[in-house]
Amino acid sequence: MTTESTQYIAPDQNNPAVRKGQEDRLREVWKPPSGWFFRWTDVNNNRIGVWYTLTAFGFMLFAGVLALIMRTQLAVPNNDLVTANTFNQLFTLHGSMMMFLFAVPMFEAVSIILLPQLLGARDLPFPRLSGFGYWSFLIGGVFVSGSIFFDAAPDGGWFMYPPLTTRTDLSGLGADIWMLGLSFIEVSSVAAAVELIVGVLKCRPPGMRLNLMPLYAWYILVVAVMILFAFPPLIAGDVLFEMERLLNWPFFNAEKGGDPLLWQHLFWIFGHPEVYIVFLPSIALFAMLIPTFAQRHLLGYPWIVLAAVGTAFLSFGLWVHHMFTTGLPKISLAFFAAASEAVAIPTGVQIFVFIATLWAGNVKKSTPLLYASGSLAVFVIGGLTGVMVAVAPFDWQAHDTYFIVAHLHYVLIGGTLLPLFAGLYYYWPLVTGKKLSDKLGRIAFWIMFVGMNLTFFPMHLSGLLGMPRRVFTYPEELGIGGLNLASTAGSYMFALGVLIVCIDLALSPRRPKAPRNPWNAGTLEWLALPDDEDWGIRSVPLIESRYPIWDQKNFVQKVDEGRFFLPDAEEMRRESIITTVLDARPLQVIRLGTPSVKPMMTAVALAGVFILTTYHLYIWSAVSGVATLACVLWWLWTGTAEIPEKPTKHIGHGIEVPLYTSGPSAPGWWAMFITMMADATAFSGLVFGYFFFWTIHNDFPPSGVGLNGPGVFWPMVALALTLTGWAATVGAREVHRRCNVGAGRALLIVGIVATLASLFAGLAGPWYSGLDPELHVYPAIVWTLAIWTAVHAAIGVIMQAYTLARSLAGKMTPIYDADLRNITVYHHFLALTGIVTFCTIGLFPGVA
Amino acid sequence: MTEPKSDRKHWARDLKVTLWTLIVPPTIWAVHFLFCYLWVAVTCAKSSTPGTALTGFPLATLIATIVALLGIVAAGYIARVQSETPGDPAPHEQGTAIDRLRFLALSTRLLAGLSFVAVIFTALPVIMFGDCR
Amino acid sequence: MRKAIFLSVGACLPLLAACNRHQSTLAPFGEEADKVLSITIVLVIGAIILAGGLALLMRHAMRAPEGRLTHKGGMKLVLWLGGIGPSILLLGLLLYALPAMRPREVANSDLRIGVEGEQFWWRVRYAPPGGSVVETANELRLPVGRTVELSLRSPDVIHSFWVPGLAGKMDMIPGRTNRLVVRATKAGTYRGVCAEFCGLGHALMAFDVIAMEPAAFERWLAAQRQPATVTASPGARLFASYGCSGCHSVRGVGPVAKIGPDLTHFGSRPTLAAGVLPMTHANIAGFVRDPGKTKPGVRMPAFPQMSAAEADQIASYLQGLK
Repeated sequence: MTTESTQYIAPDQNNPAVRKGQEDRLREVWKPPSGWFFRWTDVNNNRIGVWYTLTAFGFMLFAGVLALIMRTQLAVPNNDLVTANTFNQLFTLHGSMMMFLFAVPMFEAVSIILLPQLLGARDLPFPRLSGFGYWSFLIGGVFVSGSIFFDAAPDGGWFMYPPLTTRTDLSGLGADIWMLGLSFIEVSSVAAAVELIVGVLKCRPPGMRLNLMPLYAWYILVVAVMILFAFPPLIAGDVLFEMERLLNWPFFNAEKGGDPLLWQHLFWIFGHPEVYIVFLPSIALFAMLIPTFAQRHLLGYPWIVLAAVGTAFLSFGLWVHHMFTTGLPKISLAFFAAASEAVAIPTGVQIFVFIATLWAGNVKKSTPLLYASGSLAVFVIGGLTGVMVAVAPFDWQAHDTYFIVAHLHYVLIGGTLLPLFAGLYYYWPLVTGKKLSDKLGRIAFWIMFVGMNLTFFPMHLSGLLGMPRRVFTYPEELGIGGLNLASTAGSYMFALGVLIVCIDLALSPRRPKAPRNPWNAGTLEWLALPDDEDWGIRSVPLIESRYPIWDQKNFVQKVDEGRFFLPDAEEMRRESIITTVLDARPLQVIRLGTPSVKPMMTAVALAGVFILTTYHLYIWSAVSGVATLACVLWWLWTGTAEIPEKPTKHIGHGIEVPLYTSGPSAPGWWAMFITMMADATAFSGLVFGYFFFWTIHNDFPPSGVGLNGPGVFWPMVALALTLTGWAATVGAREVHRRCNVGAGRALLIVGIVATLASLFAGLAGPWYSGLDPELHVYPAIVWTLAIWTAVHAAIGVIMQAYTLARSLAGKMTPIYDADLRNITVYHHFLALTGIVTFCTIGLFPGVA
Repeated sequence: MTEPKSDRKHWARDLKVTLWTLIVPPTIWAVHFLFCYLWVAVTCAKSSTPGTALTGFPLATLIATIVALLGIVAAGYIARVQSETPGDPAPHEQGTAIDRLRFLALSTRLLAGLSFVAVIFTALPVIMFGDCR
Repeated sequence: MRKAIFLSVGACLPLLAACNRHQSTLAPFGEEADKVLSITIVLVIGAIILAGGLALLMRHAMRAPEGRLTHKGGMKLVLWLGGIGPSILLLGLLLYALPAMRPREVANSDLRIGVEGEQFWWRVRYAPPGGSVVETANELRLPVGRTVELSLRSPDVIHSFWVPGLAGKMDMIPGRTNRLVVRATKAGTYRGVCAEFCGLGHALMAFDVIAMEPAAFERWLAAQRQPATVTASPGARLFASYGCSGCHSVRGVGPVAKIGPDLTHFGSRPTLAAGVLPMTHANIAGFVRDPGKTKPGVRMPAFPQMSAAEADQIASYLQGLK
């Protein structure tokens, strides 16, 4: 407890008055905003997480009601409760909402609540980004789901196969609402993923080396990385899709050289990892609650990490198993069948880790454990039918039938919904300080469990008996009326179970507070007090065990008495500790974002871009785009990379760390790097498109008027300019760092000019060669790559100009140069994008 | 669990272990998988008749598979040596540098096992199918 | 053996008693579907054993007193049951099941049938070796015991050709031609459906599949090749005056029109409107006046101005096209 520094005298944590002073300051600093409007500008993870969770839960209930209507329609053969048109909207919206508005956001919502608690951090590294993500999600979700009240909901099925959905004579506004509304939500999902990755890697408490991380954090890391690589191909697909719908660029139109299968590839490269993205977080909840109820450490920690990482990798090699019936070569199908079987191995490992832990431990029966074991049972059945449908010949029969409907609901209810209820009963005391009713919970569980099986088990049979999915009715002669009636009865039973859970939640405010850590768990998050304080954790602990509450002596008391790190907020700022990736050594104290209206305004402006485009109001949409840019710049200018009033700060125990870092040790640099990984993945989706079209055409590029281009000259000029812009930026960083501010600014100006010129040169190739993108898919994809690169160059120019302005405004100096370092990361990726684009469109036609 | 060998110094223990080394074995799987899939996809999409034979593909797969398996075994071997780094008491769940190293190495080793199996699975179809149908 | 399993499954699930025999993967009439059914049975039995075993193990684990399983024992459990066991099992499964994907060999002398899925009906073209092409619609006839290559295409959106009793499904994708090689083994009348969501009328896009003895098939095909034997009737005149012949061919009578189904031998088909209605006089008359009532999204326009009597005459004419 001694300090090295002579001037600095550590506070006396034994003195209650000192502690009281610290607590008052922390409380004041973390006080939520008030007022009927300003309370919604809060960015604290406790509040955002709860709003996020409730909103996702609400969307789940809404989508569930849609399913009930469908089941009612299908209760008897030849029913006419709803029209075919309504039915198609119902199943499309049900699937899309459950996936995009419930399963993925719910994982992110729960993680926003839990992650800081699990890591003993005061908040996530970018609280305002959480706020932005939430508001985007809310607006986008309401936009998409509300469309059903105007009979304008998407009606092409949740995977929206073109050409049914791209031909404007066959599908209406619903397709645009799906594409643009959900793209907007995908952007917010990626934003949340960036935040969670940085949270896990950089915001752990001192001493929490990688091998001591709570398993939930491991899963979050893995899942967030999966989101980073899975969502961008869909975003690339969305771009192509909307170009076809709005501009008539024929990516999926076979008559003009397009191919509907490209969409299927891009969609399922997203779609299959997606299944694991929504499943792994549930396993993560198990990994937290099973040790608690077995009252022992989880047995086989590295095995869980193996399973999570292994699943993440393999899940990207499965996508074609959704395309087993598209007529691809059998040997290709076999590769994917093999990978689909292989992914069952890590899944099995996880299940056996849980069984072994329960076996070795002293099992305490409880409602959360009941839900967990019940959902494992359901999931195992879904997993086994999954192994069955991975066998391609069997899938040829089962594909697109009710067998698949049964399979995917077993997987998703057993692997997402019921585990979330387990988590709800387990973590409710953490969030509200109160327990839910064990009795109601059990009753609800059994009703749901029986209802679920009654609904979905018969569907295996109706599928094998010839019932395709997505039919609004079926003939009596099929002999599946009884099975369907059973399914319908089961669905109402399931709904009753959900209703009981909702009643249980509604009764919660009238119940007394539970004691702290009511389950006697061993992990950090249970430090939370029943009357929660917004500061998250009283002092950031030094971690020496995976279950510190169980294993470390007087742990809770020491945390509460502020005997660990950062027990105070002397400068009245919201702060958290940044540590190293592998060993969690303290690196920095960061100042966190405070409540602000900026994230909300940015979300509204960005929503305008997507929503106005849906209605073809392009001018207003452009206005909205400019407003978004203005909001983002305002947000960054006023709230990031702030030069601190002093260079370093004592965090206790003689450790003094900087208040500002730049480059790879700073969270902002990581956020930029991770965001650009996602961006590069989306770009690779478009490049994949180019080469995909090359493989299916013997003459690619084709010859003819409007088809020849873009030549070699302009692409090479653009490439040279892009690289000049890049070199100037890197050079600026280097000379600036060596205190040559003037040369740095000059190089930035060179960078701006070169990058701006590269933008025009990149577009000049297709422009001057007269490539007509409506004519054939070749000019369309060339234009798309050129425009993608040009847009990125434009953003690059804005960044360079922003950095220059920061320098001129004195907000950036050779020591405090995070802005310049972060934009350099962007320019590395821009250079890469330029190299790939210009070599592909300029040089590939010469060698193809 | 004391292996006499593990007390000796070993070159593999001097290698750095990070989150990136953890994903080496599954990355090898991914490259092998893509190699097999892309070869077939491009050959078959480029040919006009459905019965086009995949000439040279079995041999290429064999070589790629051997290379991939050797890579995975090498990564697994290094991880195995590292995961038996001596020092610190069992069960190696403490917050020490050695236990962190052992954990990452053990996870890598397990991933090598999984990747090994997955590579063999991926190579299987080449025994059964020889053309683009 | 398979029958025994079947019966036992049937006994457990009385709901199955009512199940159909004409559109079911469990009642195959083709070699491909038969092969898949064998795989299905193996998979189902395997899944039941594994699920049961896991349930018992889970129960045991929950009840075992603390410390019954040591750390080392637990690791062995995970390694063997979680890792190595499934790897071996799945390897076996792949070796067993994947060869079933090998397609049947097709000879030049085999029958080729082109099927096009269109919103929301099926265009069927028979191309017998050495013979001319014959076009029909919404009905697929197959000679029993002969290898048939189906070429599957689509001019509009993605459909999927699925005859559960014959073989697994195969998609029909615009711009691509997919091939499905089948061999029917048992004569009878069966049903196929569209399995890929294709729009409003997707649920009502079915067709009849009739497997016939080869000799009967040849006779039928020869009859189909003939133009319509038609007598001038009021129905025929109405058919022309309402513009029906602008979309539907009746070979030998009207102009060649390729937009809607060929109706040359319409009366000989068992069902109407792509496998949706039985071929009765009343059904035809009703469908002709307002097809959208039966089939949402159908491309054929309604004729509200057509009187019931006129519809009757058109129905008589069409039913006479044997």
